[in-house]
Amino acid sequence: MKPSFSVLRSLVPYLCLLFMVSPIVIRSVSAAPLEYPFLGIAPEDEKYYKTSADLINCKDGSKKFTKSQLNDDFCDCPDGTDEPGTSACPAGKFYCRNAGHFSLFLFSSRVNDGICDCCDGSDEYDGKVKCPNTCWEAGKLARDKLKKKIATYQEGAALREHEIEQAKLALTKDEAELTKLKDEEKILKGLVQQLKERKEEIEKAEEKERLQKEKEEKERKEAEEKLNKKENKAEQEVDQEIREDEDKTDSEEKPTESLHYNGVGPLEDSSLVQDVVEDTDELAAEVENGDSSENEGSMVNGVEQSAAEAKKESAVIPDSGSKGIENTEGLSKEELGRLVASRWTGENTAKQAEQVDAAKGDDHEEHEEMPRGTHDEEDDGYASETDNDNQKYDEDNDDMEDEVDEDFREDHDDSSSSYKSDSDTELDLSDTTTLSNPSWLEKIQNTVHNILRAVNLFQTPVNQSEAAQVRKEFDESSAKLSKIQSRISSLSQKLKHDFGPEKEFYSFYGRCFESKQNKYVYKVCPYKQASQEEGHTITRLGQWDKFEDSYRLMVFSNGDKCWNGPDRSLKIKLRCGLKNEVADIDEPSRCEYMALLSTPALCLDEKLKELQHKLDLMNKEQPQRHDEL
Amino acid sequence: MKPQMRNLNLFLFLLLSLHFISVLSWKREEFRNCNQTPFCKRARARKPGSCSLLARHVIISDGDVTAKLLPKNHETSEDHHEINPLLLTLSLYQDGVLRLKIDEDPSLGPPKKRFEVPDVIVPEFSNNKLWLQRISTETIDGDTGPSSIVHLADGYEAVLRHDPFEVYVREKGSGNRVISLNSHGLFDFEPLTAKGEGEEWEESFRENTDTRPYGPQSISFDVSFYAADFVYGIPEHATSLALKPTRGPGVEYSEPYRLFNLDVFEYIHDSPFGIYGSIPFMISHGKSRGTSGFFWLNAAEMQIDVMGAGWDADSGISLPSEKTRIDTFWMSEAGIVDAFFFVGPGPKDVVRQYMSVTGMPAMPQLFATAYHQCRWNYRDEEDVEDVDSKFDEHNIPYDVLWLDIEHTDGKRYFTWDRMLFPHPEEMQRKLAAKGRHMVTIVDPHIKRDDSYNVHKEATKKGYYVKDASGNDFDGWCWSGSSSYPDMLNPEIRSWWADRFSFEHYVGSTPSLYIWNDMNEPSVFNGPELTMPRDALHYGDVEHRELHNAYGYYFHMATANGLVKRGEGKDRPFVLSRALFAGSQRHGAVWTGDNSAEWDHLRVSVPMVLTLGLTGLPFSGADVGGFFGNPEPELLVRWYQLGAYYPFFRAHAHHDTKRREPWLFGERNTELIRDAIHVRYTLIPYFYTLFREANTSGVPVVRPLWMEFPSEEATFSNDEAFMVGNSILVQGIYTERAKVASVYLPGRQSWYDLRTGTSYRGGMTHKLTVSEDTIPAFQRAGTIIPRKDRFRRSSTQMVNDPFTLVIALNSSQAAEGELYVDDGKSFEFEHGAYIHRRFVLSDGKLTSVNLAPASSGKSRFSSETVIERIILLGHTHSPKSALIEVTNQKVDIGLGPLWLQWGRGSAVVTVRKPGIRIADDWTIKFL
Repeated sequence: MKPSFSVLRSLVPYLCLLFMVSPIVIRSVSAAPLEYPFLGIAPEDEKYYKTSADLINCKDGSKKFTKSQLNDDFCDCPDGTDEPGTSACPAGKFYCRNAGHFSLFLFSSRVNDGICDCCDGSDEYDGKVKCPNTCWEAGKLARDKLKKKIATYQEGAALREHEIEQAKLALTKDEAELTKLKDEEKILKGLVQQLKERKEEIEKAEEKERLQKEKEEKERKEAEEKLNKKENKAEQEVDQEIREDEDKTDSEEKPTESLHYNGVGPLEDSSLVQDVVEDTDELAAEVENGDSSENEGSMVNGVEQSAAEAKKESAVIPDSGSKGIENTEGLSKEELGRLVASRWTGENTAKQAEQVDAAKGDDHEEHEEMPRGTHDEEDDGYASETDNDNQKYDEDNDDMEDEVDEDFREDHDDSSSSYKSDSDTELDLSDTTTLSNPSWLEKIQNTVHNILRAVNLFQTPVNQSEAAQVRKEFDESSAKLSKIQSRISSLSQKLKHDFGPEKEFYSFYGRCFESKQNKYVYKVCPYKQASQEEGHTITRLGQWDKFEDSYRLMVFSNGDKCWNGPDRSLKIKLRCGLKNEVADIDEPSRCEYMALLSTPALCLDEKLKELQHKLDLMNKEQPQRHDEL
Repeated sequence: MKPQMRNLNLFLFLLLSLHFISVLSWKREEFRNCNQTPFCKRARARKPGSCSLLARHVIISDGDVTAKLLPKNHETSEDHHEINPLLLTLSLYQDGVLRLKIDEDPSLGPPKKRFEVPDVIVPEFSNNKLWLQRISTETIDGDTGPSSIVHLADGYEAVLRHDPFEVYVREKGSGNRVISLNSHGLFDFEPLTAKGEGEEWEESFRENTDTRPYGPQSISFDVSFYAADFVYGIPEHATSLALKPTRGPGVEYSEPYRLFNLDVFEYIHDSPFGIYGSIPFMISHGKSRGTSGFFWLNAAEMQIDVMGAGWDADSGISLPSEKTRIDTFWMSEAGIVDAFFFVGPGPKDVVRQYMSVTGMPAMPQLFATAYHQCRWNYRDEEDVEDVDSKFDEHNIPYDVLWLDIEHTDGKRYFTWDRMLFPHPEEMQRKLAAKGRHMVTIVDPHIKRDDSYNVHKEATKKGYYVKDASGNDFDGWCWSGSSSYPDMLNPEIRSWWADRFSFEHYVGSTPSLYIWNDMNEPSVFNGPELTMPRDALHYGDVEHRELHNAYGYYFHMATANGLVKRGEGKDRPFVLSRALFAGSQRHGAVWTGDNSAEWDHLRVSVPMVLTLGLTGLPFSGADVGGFFGNPEPELLVRWYQLGAYYPFFRAHAHHDTKRREPWLFGERNTELIRDAIHVRYTLIPYFYTLFREANTSGVPVVRPLWMEFPSEEATFSNDEAFMVGNSILVQGIYTERAKVASVYLPGRQSWYDLRTGTSYRGGMTHKLTVSEDTIPAFQRAGTIIPRKDRFRRSSTQMVNDPFTLVIALNSSQAAEGELYVDDGKSFEFEHGAYIHRRFVLSDGKLTSVNLAPASSGKSRFSSETVIERIILLGHTHSPKSALIEVTNQKVDIGLGPLWLQWGRGSAVVTVRKPGIRIADDWTIKFL
């Protein structure tokens, strides 16, 4: 196939129509292609030029030009009307028919610039380069691709429909639950109040009784009690202090902190506190033992958890006990070098050192050196720290957490995965404890009624078993109430979110998508937050902000601060796909991340129709003459 | 627990301090001021008239005037040291160049030979030497002793006054002085001495100590420029074009202009402190006489004072032309006096005279004169491909994509990070397929890593600069612990050049060119962020002696490497940050790490103009500003100005937001595209100007006074500048500017480049400013060649037809030139080019050949035609035109001045003359 035919192919239909010429004549036309006056014009636009008038208007109305000025390689119309087939007008557009492939409009600057832009080669006709016609092959590929895309859209659209139905059901359910919970809350509140009053009465009576009974021993006993209390308090204070110290460096203790203010939580579970403290000690010890560079590295990792960027940056300076930046005198030569370099890089110098060595793959080794034991701990820290709601759910939460963690670990090999985030535990929890058990409230009501009726207030001494029952009922009921209240609050929070025009993003709530890229693991939890993890280091890329670009973009903003840069942020482009998958995470600008998320939610019907239309067009354009030429 | 707490406190403290840095930016205290620099402090404390040297034994020897400089009280010296006489040599060269050398007498056995900077003066210069036969003696009015006088050039004489010693150039008949040295008796020369017992020569600054094994060895003297309104030059400083006084009553600056190549983090926009480069060349200009110049070839740290009027009121010394004389004071830490006086008298004469010493600027490759896209860093091949394709998508041309340090394997230059750039050749080939080029960075700090072959080889061969104790100098830079090849040594330069062969630089292709950064050299943990002064180079030269030229040699070696790589057939392109006198022979320079601030946009103009005046026509500032995030308006204004920089590159720090042209909304994309398009249409004009620079030394962009030397109103104007002799550009340097005052010099009128509207010359116009463009004008009487078709890159424009824009002057005449060659090889040196002068007069436009008769074997031919001729300022409109010789008639009609902004006023346009630029022809307007 001679390349010059490529031009021909686009011309053939017209030429055949107009002249019924033989191939030999066509060949001569291609040698001086501008003899064909309508080059670069789209078929639907040809009638504009094929006028019987002597003069043609520039489309912008600025001028008129003669037919001989059409495609004469001199720009008469500033808008390019007279030069669709040459590069003479900067504003011009060149149409290539690309039979068998998509037709294309090119900037006129691409005409005869020595680069083959049209697959039919029609943009290069001055003989300086030869452009083979690749439309058939490329078109086939493109059609196949398009077909695949259409298939994806079709399947995806079905999935989407399903999702939407599910979402609507679930939303109704959520709303129903909320209403129900609110009713229950009301009733339970009343009960708890009654129980509380009764309990207080009992306690009053008991107190009276005890005062009388134990009058003689009172002083001694009280003294003893006081002593005990004091010791306890002192112990607690020590713990507290330790924790406060860590507070600034280590967020791992956050869950323990929550245990303290969580009235429902199992206070006896202080072993957790202990564990955390011990682990931190270990970490600190490791830090002490390592050599200076490792020291910085692991320090960063130890500190990283709560990820205040500030703390990370603080690792910038080698721990030399120097007097600070303004006075560089205490620094070694190398430290000074790193410090000065960091002005330009804005990176911490420890990291830079790592980078410098990274080429050798040193950093991989470093990962190996990380204490394995702290890893699990860290996952816990992550989960409880990132999900405030969870903290209201005592021990069940820990169990769930473990399960989630296990899922994590199993998924680690995948480059992308999704899982339910912790907030799903709320659902499960409530399902089992509340909704699936419709009669529990009645039971409680009955029990309470019975108790209240049975307990004789004025009986002395106080009936201990009755008193215990009241207390037990009170404790249980207020625990329930508090659960219900937090459930109400989380449900109402949830329902405030924007789940898309058709609620197609409902299922994203409480889920996370994970993608592994080189040494980083990215976690994207819509409606919550997104983070980047490298070993122990967790960097928050952003908190959920909103959808943009008509639900084609998810925005996470106000992530961890970048040194010398903006707060981190992440934008996720959504596209149609059969599975929810995050991919192609990128940092085009420092600390401004981009990613792609494939999801059926984006498999829109109108887009599908568009694609089908495109394919129809392509199929129509398939040159029957392909074989003839 | 405790240690952790301590760490924590430290962390927090350091965090705060770090934060402090980013706010403080420029760290003045890290750099020495004059008072902290002993030689500067000593020299500045000297009083006028303190020099007691006399010239004795004045004779002619080897065609030069030689003399001995002795202290007046030599015989009765109370000084403990025996004072040896200094040797003085005066040499004369063609075209009005006087050279003065003063050094210690080698026959008297000084402890060491003082350093003379090699390889800066071009070998051809010696051919210009005038062999003196005769010397005349004269006792000038009021003198007690004689002066020796020699003929220097037409109308000029060089005078050596014996007592007190003084050298000057004067006009023949009138006797008016032009330039003089030591007229205020401030000359001082500290001879090398052997260190005596118990003498303390060490010098400390901050935590660094300089051993100074040869003791103080500085030189200082005063230079006076007569009939001068202003002095200019001595880059590189971020300061005004006309140099403000640094000493004297009520001056603004207290520091002298410092010439010491330094990597200054976030340099400020108005300061005499030294930054990346040094050219000890000063130009004076005055309305009454014209221009003269003074160049001191010396690579040691230099400090130069420009004296304010009345600085010497108490000295009792009285010199001619008191009012229009500008005195300057030059101080250098080491070296010798090797000074050149240039008589002018025109600005272009002085530049040419200077270039006869240091060499003409290299002719750049065509692509290098187009637009460059850079960022620290385009991260990987995908990023490169994406940015590249976005330019096409937005129909914005660009020619070169740059990769900063992160593309390497751990900052080991000549390597690639194979994770990010697994297929460098393919990546470059993809760009090359669109006519585009790539530039990668190669810095002088070599990573001290035994597995890195460049380091291994350099270590083995002993090619590194040594520290004071003779070991390989080890400093900290991007690559961590690093050493620096000793570029003073030609053998090492040659070895370095070989690193650029395709065989050694794996992953490089013929479309790859080089960027030399950090070559001051930057040493993060060195004194003032550079190499210690007592480090040792080839031939036991101390770093203090050659510091300012280190980057120059590095640039030279790299450029030679690219020439070698291309087997002498491909012009090199190497961008350097450090610069010195002569850098123009090796490539382009830029003004370093500027900031995204309006003040930095503003100061870029005097900086680029000053570089041009001192021989470096190929320079520019980072468009957008390196540090910080420019507001879209600033970015757009920067593109609009940057499109006229000789070197047009956008660059950004890696902490900044992405700022490729399409990221700021459609309107801003359009404005930036327009600005870049203007540059591309003017590439034929720019390339012609680069050729002019290459042959005459006249810079591409020029201060107004270079074109209008007798118009005082232009002398200190550095808001506007000339591109060649035809276009005047004025930047917009403020936010939301609504009006601009533009002074248009000369008696001829000016045509708005964009609209064709005419403005009277010789006055200031208050113009309404739009966001579309910055004010730019074509001078009446000029012809500008353009290419109006847009392509992806300049490479694809090669065969595109030309447009000639003719702006007629009041006598309906105009002239302009066009230079075209193959854009890349050295064949033009053998005559393979087209050079035309277009002359319009008496209603006839003629193309005159300026190229030599094509007798050579090398020829350059082109089929390229002129598709359009535009006439501005005609008094009567021609109806048609006749191409003589072929007798072909062509149409004349009305058309747009710019096709892309077509709907403005229509201008007279010759439609499709179709004449070839290679041919002689005449067009007659009927």
